[in-house]
Amino acid sequence: MSDSADPAELQKHVKKYLLIGGILLAATAATIAIAFYEFPTHSMNIIVGMIVATIKASLVALIFMHLNHERPLIYKFLAFTTVFCVVLFVLFIFSNADPLVDHGFDAPLEAVEK
Amino acid sequence: MDIPYTVHARPDTGLYNAKVGIWLFLASEVMLFGGLFSSYIFLRLGADYPWPIHELDWTLGGINTVVLIASSVTVVWAWAAVKMRKHGLYKILMLITILCAAVFMVNKTIEYTGKLNHWSVTLTDGSILSGHLPKDEKGHYIPYQVKFEGQEITLTVSGMHRAVDANPVDYVLPHIEGGAPKFKAAPAAAAYSFAKAKSPDFSALGSSDWELNASTFAQIRSISLAAAREAWKAERDDKIALAEKALAAAEALPEGQERAYGIQEAKKALTSAKNFNQVPDTKIKLVATAPFKVAVEASKLLARQTADAIIFRDGSAATGKLLDDKFTLEADALDLRSLADQAREKSLAFDARYLGEKWQKHFIANRAAENKKFDEKYSDGKGGVTRDREKSATFKKHAYGLHLDSPEPKGDHGGALGDGPHHPVLHIESKDITFFSNYTPKLNTYYAIYFTLTGLHGLHVVAGALVLAYFLVFNGRMLREDPEHLANRIEVGGLFWHFVDLIWIFLFPLLYLL
Amino acid sequence: MSAAAIPHDHAHDHAHDHHEQSWIWKYVFSTDHKTIGMQYAVTGMLFLLFGFFLMLLMRWSIAYPGVPLPGIDVLRAIPGLGWAFEEMFGRWLNADGSLNGELYNMLGAMHGTIMVFFGIVPLGFAGFVNFVMPLQIGTIDMAFPKLNMASYWCFFVSCVLMMLSFFVGTGPVQTGWTMYSPLASTMTIGVSDVWNHGHTWWLMAMVFNISASLLGSVNVVATFINLRAKGMSYMRLPFFSWAMFVIGFLLLLAFPPLEVAALLQLSDRVFGSSFFLPTGLVEGGKHLDISGGGSPLLYQHLFWFLAHPEVYVLILPAFAILSDVIPNNARRPLWGYKTMVYSVLTLAFLSFLVWAHHMYLTGMGTMMSTYFQITTVLISVPSVILLTCLMISLWGGSIRFNTQMLFASAFLPMFGIGGLTGLPLAFSFIDLALHDTYYVIGHFHYVVAPGTLFALFAGVYHWFPKATGRFMSDKLGKLHFWPSLIGMNLLFAPMFIQGMAGFHRRWYDGGKYFEQTAAFQNWSTTFTHKVGAFLGLDIPDNMLSLNVVMSFGAFILALGQVPFIINFWISIKGGEKVKSDNPWQATTLEWATPTPPPHGNFVFDVNAHRGPYEYSVPGHPADFFPQWESAHGTPKPDGSDAPAKTESAHAAHH
Repeated sequence: MSDSADPAELQKHVKKYLLIGGILLAATAATIAIAFYEFPTHSMNIIVGMIVATIKASLVALIFMHLNHERPLIYKFLAFTTVFCVVLFVLFIFSNADPLVDHGFDAPLEAVEK
Repeated sequence: MDIPYTVHARPDTGLYNAKVGIWLFLASEVMLFGGLFSSYIFLRLGADYPWPIHELDWTLGGINTVVLIASSVTVVWAWAAVKMRKHGLYKILMLITILCAAVFMVNKTIEYTGKLNHWSVTLTDGSILSGHLPKDEKGHYIPYQVKFEGQEITLTVSGMHRAVDANPVDYVLPHIEGGAPKFKAAPAAAAYSFAKAKSPDFSALGSSDWELNASTFAQIRSISLAAAREAWKAERDDKIALAEKALAAAEALPEGQERAYGIQEAKKALTSAKNFNQVPDTKIKLVATAPFKVAVEASKLLARQTADAIIFRDGSAATGKLLDDKFTLEADALDLRSLADQAREKSLAFDARYLGEKWQKHFIANRAAENKKFDEKYSDGKGGVTRDREKSATFKKHAYGLHLDSPEPKGDHGGALGDGPHHPVLHIESKDITFFSNYTPKLNTYYAIYFTLTGLHGLHVVAGALVLAYFLVFNGRMLREDPEHLANRIEVGGLFWHFVDLIWIFLFPLLYLL
Repeated sequence: MSAAAIPHDHAHDHAHDHHEQSWIWKYVFSTDHKTIGMQYAVTGMLFLLFGFFLMLLMRWSIAYPGVPLPGIDVLRAIPGLGWAFEEMFGRWLNADGSLNGELYNMLGAMHGTIMVFFGIVPLGFAGFVNFVMPLQIGTIDMAFPKLNMASYWCFFVSCVLMMLSFFVGTGPVQTGWTMYSPLASTMTIGVSDVWNHGHTWWLMAMVFNISASLLGSVNVVATFINLRAKGMSYMRLPFFSWAMFVIGFLLLLAFPPLEVAALLQLSDRVFGSSFFLPTGLVEGGKHLDISGGGSPLLYQHLFWFLAHPEVYVLILPAFAILSDVIPNNARRPLWGYKTMVYSVLTLAFLSFLVWAHHMYLTGMGTMMSTYFQITTVLISVPSVILLTCLMISLWGGSIRFNTQMLFASAFLPMFGIGGLTGLPLAFSFIDLALHDTYYVIGHFHYVVAPGTLFALFAGVYHWFPKATGRFMSDKLGKLHFWPSLIGMNLLFAPMFIQGMAGFHRRWYDGGKYFEQTAAFQNWSTTFTHKVGAFLGLDIPDNMLSLNVVMSFGAFILALGQVPFIINFWISIKGGEKVKSDNPWQATTLEWATPTPPPHGNFVFDVNAHRGPYEYSVPGHPADFFPQWESAHGTPKPDGSDAPAKTESAHAAHH
């Protein structure tokens, strides 16, 4: 992102990239390990697994994709995209959880346990 | 004339064009994969079968994760290298990135191939057997086919244009062994349901030893259609004549309400007679000179076969004798999770024709052992358990399923594996099967979304690698003369590449681990 | 580019001053935004005509069910055309040449698809935005010209695939433009060769169409953001460009979920998966050979997540065009420019949150339906603001009623009817009764037909002189406008009455065989009956008579398009030549270019000095003050900022 081509600065960046790469690999190992540990419910496995994945994804987005210091315009684009994406997730699921048929919102969550 | 801001950023937005473009594109990609992930959640929440957990081998997926993370590091490093004008380093790093993509795709291919050759058969009671097809001497898989010996074929040429219309050339003949069958007499058509219609005359085909092929079928078809149209016209004229007669009769009545009503009704009848436009179907029976053999995959049939008839996808029916419709499977696993608890040990799979009593005993023993293990692991110290076993996906998978990794249960024969098959070989009768498929999108919604997500992601990997390879191979001059422009290109290509990595970071746990 | 006060005629030669392009690169595989815009526009217009023709066939069947098509034998006898007609439609006709339900369903589905995705969007969005926007923001081309060309050709492939679907074995799709699963996934599934299904071709065409529009919208948004001319700040941009920017965003973010839906349905078709197929699905008395476990509701969500924003993609080009046409011909500034900009942004945002109001009948819970009712009512606020601003812009103006202004002024009440009749549908309890009736058809046709289409016509008349250097004939224009207005209203107004009487939208016989509904009488049927009697026609006094009225309207509408087609093609070579580069005395930058604009567009250094709607500025010598003029009329002493001369005395066409 930075337009400056200061070699020392860039060299520092490269070190950071390698470090982040290492963290990502470690987090991958952690994801696999956690997946084979049984939490009290499988839903918790899913939640923990997704939290780790989100942390990894954030690192990629922030460091590799330079989102930690990007122009405001890009943030605006992505803010709208994120909102619509969340809408896509949340409303679909809520529309599925129809009280007339499913007897409330617990029903679909229990389906995960199958 | 050049488009402004291709290399340097526009001062007030601080962005060059391609940067705006790629982020917009990525925003739309987020929505694309957002829609797919949303579908994943929707399908998983709504699944009416046990959602597969730990069913895929995570090692290949794990290797691919490592590969993609590594390539993400190298691509951003390559960008920094161009910025630092270290051209040699850039080329090496870019090459590594592209090689990573190649490794990823090779792994993907291995994974996909394994699934295409793996089959799953659902029995009528919900038990699921999975395994491989038997192989012939050359090592090719022998597909499941329905074998049939036919005597007669009945074709239905529809008078109106319909989606399913007789087309034996494409739908029947390819499945007949030993070339096109010959037929002895000229075909006979069933009489039309219209009173005055004449049956079509097929004597032009000759009275014996004529072959069913494209040209004879075309002849049959045109004769049938012509006759059907004649039948329709005759019927319509008949109806019109009747209605006109009724109208005349009504008009002859004395002036009054009855006459008016009669005329009104007769006019209605006349209109509907004029609008009568049903051209009837023609059913034609062909009798073969000698019995012909049919070998056809079940998916090419319209309906399940019975003991004396099979119906092809074009509606043509063959009558004769069913020879064999057993699905031969080298079973490697049994899954009884979809059955009620009491029904599991009485599963159809333990029928004497299939796995038999030994495996049944083995299943009962295994289930007891798993229950015991579970009780010990989650004991609350007071004789109860801290966890609902019906909510443990892994417990259910182990306790209500069975690995069939030897022809007989190992406890009895010590698992002697000789030259013979490594698994029980079952010949499953088609009447016991409700559904079968290889591990493709058809099998269930999990594999459907698995193939869609990974397939689409794979396409992105290929596309990204091609773009990066283009930079490496064809942009050598730009590297020397305008490295800043190339750095922009690599940054944009890199952003896409990181996004592909980011998607995989979610795909890997969702599909392989959780 | 040399910047000098060159005599007007020489300005044209600028296009050729570097190198001569061969014909194919200049007109076919062009990367020039103006050529691509015209390619899109002409393709879109051809598809509008084709979609209109499908509608005429449908209307015949509705008004005269079971009666053979008039002139069918003549049509079949025409070489070439007859063959095409026979392959596309003729083979499905009944033996006596009348329409049946199967063919009607095909026509209905393809009419919807073609009008929405191949007619209005390519013309209204892609056509106009490509031609006008780069000129209006003062730049030389789109941000990514090659991508732009790729977008058109991607679209072209999708057009070809869509047309091919008419010719394949089972004919085109029959399941409505919404393509709801499971019907759409299982229809004609008995035919095992997937390439024989029109549906497969439809889905592939849609995947290409969506990809094309993604490429196009990335381009539009990037151009809008990064290529504005000097001085062209966001609040100096014409509303046209703002609206197009918003449409770009809508397409960018709303289309991918539809692409997902298309891909998943394609997978259901080709690979036999069950994304949208529930367990235990039976068709024709037989269990289908599928695993089940999918959800038809998922398809509807994915589909409407696009298709509601798509409604705004259809209507916003109209507002965009009229925000130029109305101030220009009323000689008044656009009223509430900033309000309109903020409204259109709000509209875009809200349009992503309302989709399930198309799905009240799916049995969604009360909580979700309440949410969607609230957002749906909310979204009517910005739309009303947009319409009101356009209406108030007329206030106190000395209006020039040329053809584009006639269409623009007709748009306002017509869109008003369309919009206001939509309000009741926002409420689930009313929608339960009106869902899938002709009321809904009337509502959205008033929005897109006399609404969007009229605005698109206005746009064509408005920018035609810039694109070709010639005017379209005003006389023929009026001959186009009046029959269109009358035809549209005869065609769509009775739909509200029929809809409230319970007429279902998919009856191929127009309700003839539904006696209770058909025999219903009210003032409108009596009126029709009496008018018919006065004219010596025997029109029965029941709801079916309205079918005849509507089909008559459609026929008038068809006749009304003939002058337009003649006008359009004749005027390209034979229209009255423009005498200046700014014949409408407009203020926005596209009128500062030579006519037609050369490759690279501007012959001077573009600088936007003021807002886009400086009409009738008090104290200013002329009644308009263009964005590119630093001071009134007279260019600088050296003439360097004079784009071209403006002929202020060019009379409006009356």
